[in-house]
Amino acid sequence: MIRFKSIISRIVILHVVAVVITSIFMSLALSWLLNYATNNIHDKAMQQQAVSVGEHLSAKADGSLELNLPQDLLGLYSQAYGRYSYAVIDNRGGVLFSSLKDQAALFPADTVSSDVEFLQQRRGDATVSGASIRKTVGGKTVWIQAGEDLANRDVLIDDIVADFYRNVGWITLPILLVLLIADIAIFRRALRPLRQASEIASEIGPTRTDLRLPTEEIPREVRPLVSAVNQALDRLEEGFRIQRDFTADAAHELRTPLSILRTRLDLLADEQISRALRQDVEGMAHIISQLLDIAELDAFVVDPAEKADLRSVAAEVAEFVAPLALAQGKDIALLGAIKPVWVKGNPEMLSRAIRNLAENAINHTAPGTTVEFVVEDDGTVCVLDHGPGIAEDERNLIFQRFWRRDRRKPGSTGLGLSIVQRIAELHSATITLENRRPSGARFALKFMPFRT
Amino acid sequence: MRLLVVEDNEQLAELLTKGLQAAGYETDVLSSLEEASTVLRTTFYAALILDLGLPDGDGLALLRDLRHRNNPIPVLVLTARGGLQDRVQGLRSGADDYLVKPFALEELIARLEAQLRRPGNLLGSSLRIANLEFDTRNRQASIDDQPQVLSARETAVLELLMRSKGRVVSKKQVEDHIFGHSGEVASNAIEVYVHRLRKQLSERGAKVQVHTIRGVGYLIAEEK
Repeated sequence: MIRFKSIISRIVILHVVAVVITSIFMSLALSWLLNYATNNIHDKAMQQQAVSVGEHLSAKADGSLELNLPQDLLGLYSQAYGRYSYAVIDNRGGVLFSSLKDQAALFPADTVSSDVEFLQQRRGDATVSGASIRKTVGGKTVWIQAGEDLANRDVLIDDIVADFYRNVGWITLPILLVLLIADIAIFRRALRPLRQASEIASEIGPTRTDLRLPTEEIPREVRPLVSAVNQALDRLEEGFRIQRDFTADAAHELRTPLSILRTRLDLLADEQISRALRQDVEGMAHIISQLLDIAELDAFVVDPAEKADLRSVAAEVAEFVAPLALAQGKDIALLGAIKPVWVKGNPEMLSRAIRNLAENAINHTAPGTTVEFVVEDDGTVCVLDHGPGIAEDERNLIFQRFWRRDRRKPGSTGLGLSIVQRIAELHSATITLENRRPSGARFALKFMPFRT
Repeated sequence: MRLLVVEDNEQLAELLTKGLQAAGYETDVLSSLEEASTVLRTTFYAALILDLGLPDGDGLALLRDLRHRNNPIPVLVLTARGGLQDRVQGLRSGADDYLVKPFALEELIARLEAQLRRPGNLLGSSLRIANLEFDTRNRQASIDDQPQVLSARETAVLELLMRSKGRVVSKKQVEDHIFGHSGEVASNAIEVYVHRLRKQLSERGAKVQVHTIRGVGYLIAEEK
């Protein structure tokens, strides 16, 4: 059994087979019908001729029969015309009258058969086909035979039969082909909603759980499947929502106790202990806010009409992180574009991405060096540091959640770069990562330019 | 000076009271929106520290109600909600500032003072970093309590930097502050003033440093 990959190909193949079979069968059936009809007409005509010959048969006073054919009938049966012939036979097989030259019967005498009989007889080169009827005239039973030489048969009817394939038979094939094409078109049309549904389905993912397949235009036969898929998506979305909400709620709930802890530390008399503990609290608070950022990002959808000035966003981030950097004896500089650089995206999200890159750079750059922000007119923002750079085998690891090169190093959560990557994904932005000479890393985020 | 703290977590409320007391503020604590709404109609407070998640509703409702009644009291919102929409909503509802938990007591007090120091508000006018002091009332800078004479432009730059202590002042802000929105500004004019100010301060023994953040602006901080 052949396996068909698509419904369309299955229909096409089966349809072609059906077309071939149907066109053969239809031609045979039609030609048989045509032959049958012509023969029928011929038989009827012959019977009619026999009857009309019989009407001119009459009994004389002496009891013998005589045949008085009118002029037009005589012409029909004349030797010159040669197409039609008749004979009248008595019940002993003797020929009473005949239009043939040798006064012979058309068909072998049959004195037993019923009222009407259709017969065929070869005479020399010709085949005579005709009818024989029984008639009683003046108390005598006679058989009147009428026949037609098939070699002289009606040209028109012969032409119709002979030219049937050439003139009529071929029409069945194109008709069936047109039907096939129409069927394919109908099917493709019927399947179009399914194709649209699958395009929508391809966009569904952990970040787009709100999409559902449309059911309005889906053929009724497939609708149960589509509805079942939609219900499955409802359940998945609920699962995602619960998980997301849990992350957000858990992080959220930690904030108040952490505030209490933090305030207690601020009121502690021993400044040295208090400072160390405060750093720990700040580390925890940082993780919490990054977890909340991630939870928010998982549910975030970028408005395609939103735009942001990458330059001013970068400037704000630089202002925000500068005190942090200075406190660690490191410097910040903003270079590049002077005019606004409009890109597609949500300004707050862009700001978070750049801030995380900046915090990462400040953590890794050597003391006394500068972390540089470079905004380019094509919608790229780069953050350059003078740290150790990124080893080749760590290039992909650094974007994984909770990955850290040195787990003992404080101040790093391993979440920052995964947030950057997520925001880049949401904005169809590309991240490129290069090492600098003699040392350092360069992260570049290229956003889509916003054109009015 | 009396402050109102609306916070339903008893421990946090108690600790805040203690901390604010240490900084010289008297504090009343309430734990529900209804109480707060009633008390604010009859009692005058210098500022309101408002938690958003309260047992009888959202603190933002109280805030909107206050602003609706044209009550100008400075409001500092404390919240565990740090989401993008939450912050935008908080500021739109009329909060003057927004602190996400957990916060440093020091930062809370600094932000509070920034609010109280605004025109029309109550706090005194003296700004201080290390041994450098700036009196905003008579625009007088002093180092080790010795009044200093600075040019008008240098004074203006110093005032702006001192008012934004701990934060970066963008170059644009300095330009606007000194020249207003009119006037042609030579491209390096601001750098020149900052450079002069820096020189004056270090020559006169101020233990502060004016940092230049290239492409961004300036920041004044204690010298290390």
